[in-house]
Amino acid sequence: MIIITEIEKKKDSKDIVNDIDSYLSKIYDPNLRNLLRKCYQCGTCSGVCQLSKVQKFTPSRIIEMILEGFENRVIESGVLWDCIMCNSCLQNCPEDVNFADLVRMAKYKMRNIEDQNPEEYIAHKGIYTTLSEIMSESNLQPERTLDWVPKECKITESGKIMYYVGCLPFFKFEFENIDSIATSTLKLICQIEKEPIVVLKEESCCGHDLYWGQGKFEPFIELAKKNLKMFENAGISTIITACAECYRTLKVDYSNLFEDFDKKFEVQHIIEYIYNSWKENKIEFKNPEQTSEPIQFTFHDPCRLSRFLPKSNNIIHKVREIFNHLEKIGYKFNEMEHSKENSLCCGVSSWMNCNERSKALRYKRLSEAKAAGTKVVTSCPKCIMHLSCLKDDFEEFGSMEILDFSEFLVNLVNVIDGNEKKEEEK
Amino acid sequence: MTEAKKEGKNEGFEPNIVAFCCNWCSYAGADLAGVSRFQYPPNIRVIRVMCSGRVDPSFIMKALKNGADGVIVTGCHIGDCHYISGNEYTKERFERLHSIIIKQLGVNPKRVRLEWVSASEGKRFAEVITEFTNDIKKLGPFKR
Repeated sequence: MIIITEIEKKKDSKDIVNDIDSYLSKIYDPNLRNLLRKCYQCGTCSGVCQLSKVQKFTPSRIIEMILEGFENRVIESGVLWDCIMCNSCLQNCPEDVNFADLVRMAKYKMRNIEDQNPEEYIAHKGIYTTLSEIMSESNLQPERTLDWVPKECKITESGKIMYYVGCLPFFKFEFENIDSIATSTLKLICQIEKEPIVVLKEESCCGHDLYWGQGKFEPFIELAKKNLKMFENAGISTIITACAECYRTLKVDYSNLFEDFDKKFEVQHIIEYIYNSWKENKIEFKNPEQTSEPIQFTFHDPCRLSRFLPKSNNIIHKVREIFNHLEKIGYKFNEMEHSKENSLCCGVSSWMNCNERSKALRYKRLSEAKAAGTKVVTSCPKCIMHLSCLKDDFEEFGSMEILDFSEFLVNLVNVIDGNEKKEEEK
Repeated sequence: MTEAKKEGKNEGFEPNIVAFCCNWCSYAGADLAGVSRFQYPPNIRVIRVMCSGRVDPSFIMKALKNGADGVIVTGCHIGDCHYISGNEYTKERFERLHSIIIKQLGVNPKRVRLEWVSASEGKRFAEVITEFTNDIKKLGPFKR
């Protein structure tokens, strides 16, 4: 009862409006030119743009048009809704012009000032992004079912380590078995940790898709505030996630919004978590069904892990270190033709633009994967959904197996706890 | 605490309800209710669709997001569908929508409803709408 009246009071006063505005100023700069000043038109971005291989899309030209004062024309034409936000251009830009950031802000502008509504660009008729928006309502609290939690794992409502599930239980609506990612991730964490893991029923979406895909910053800020409150109430210090998008959002975007977010919480991807436990000698890798012939597998780098993180973050090297180690237990890791920072996109990000062009990109990616091995491991639930969707359409990919990092490792991890267990028994 | 658990504060609240009616049965049923002068609350906004199978779950979620307090989808009785099996798809989709999305989102499941009304059931249409409107009035507004 109190919660609802409190919010009503706040909404009446002017404070909350300023509150949103102050957050907005941290993630939105209306002057698009400021971002692009350094561009000297080398044209690299148009060359490396993944979308430009399947349709006409030239970032350098768009940048030049904005700099020369034709910003309105770019915005009116709506061409920026096409961008798949893979960040390949920033990766190769000699001047570090952040084109994806420009597109993100331009989307906000197009929506709010030009009143554009990109309904036809949103995949799945916008059901999942609508869900995120509904979750941002302050009076609504999700009540997730926890039927995917494996029996042997103990979960709790407050504690130190939290598993941030993300939207996986909602994706089950159209994608069967997608919550096995959550199950195997929780299994992995439970094996390593002694204490019960925090999994919250009232967890909200991180807001990634609204932030990057649709330029809806206000609901994003609401979601971020809601999540922050939830984390604080549960008394968490470490957040582990298995989703590349949640990782990037919690790690980078939330710290931009809230100054002390990264001091209060340590955000870890499951790859980092496994890597650290391995280096601390908490776990080892064992294969119960080792065959004489090594199993060939490859890794698809999600853009959110390879290109959307600060350069000091070497998560893609950590994952390779683990994979190369697996050679001892009968798994052979092969690189795809394009890998690490240069990896190809799965074709869709933030539920935008699922069409024949993005399908062509996906086809390219899966063909490369097929050449490298029968198992494809990746670490982003969306990449899995998109690649599996294509796999089901083409017979030639029928023999391939697309797995999440956690699903791949769940049966290969063995916990070393010899001494400690004996002490407990005594 | 989920949304709308307090009652008694909703006096004088007039809900906005979106009703998707299929062209062949329920829309004709609504027509019959009008011609026969059966009274029902004026809170519904009817949207005619060719078949209840046309109603994508995202339409329902978008209606709720954009200010509807309740959404009702009506179609032909099972076996009577003009397109043979359209309403069977609707039924299946609705069960999934309820069990996976509506429930987990913390929205009261009473706000989204599926009913079968045939073209001859003008009286039933009026009854269904009256009942649904009263339910939503009890629940109160979806957004506060």
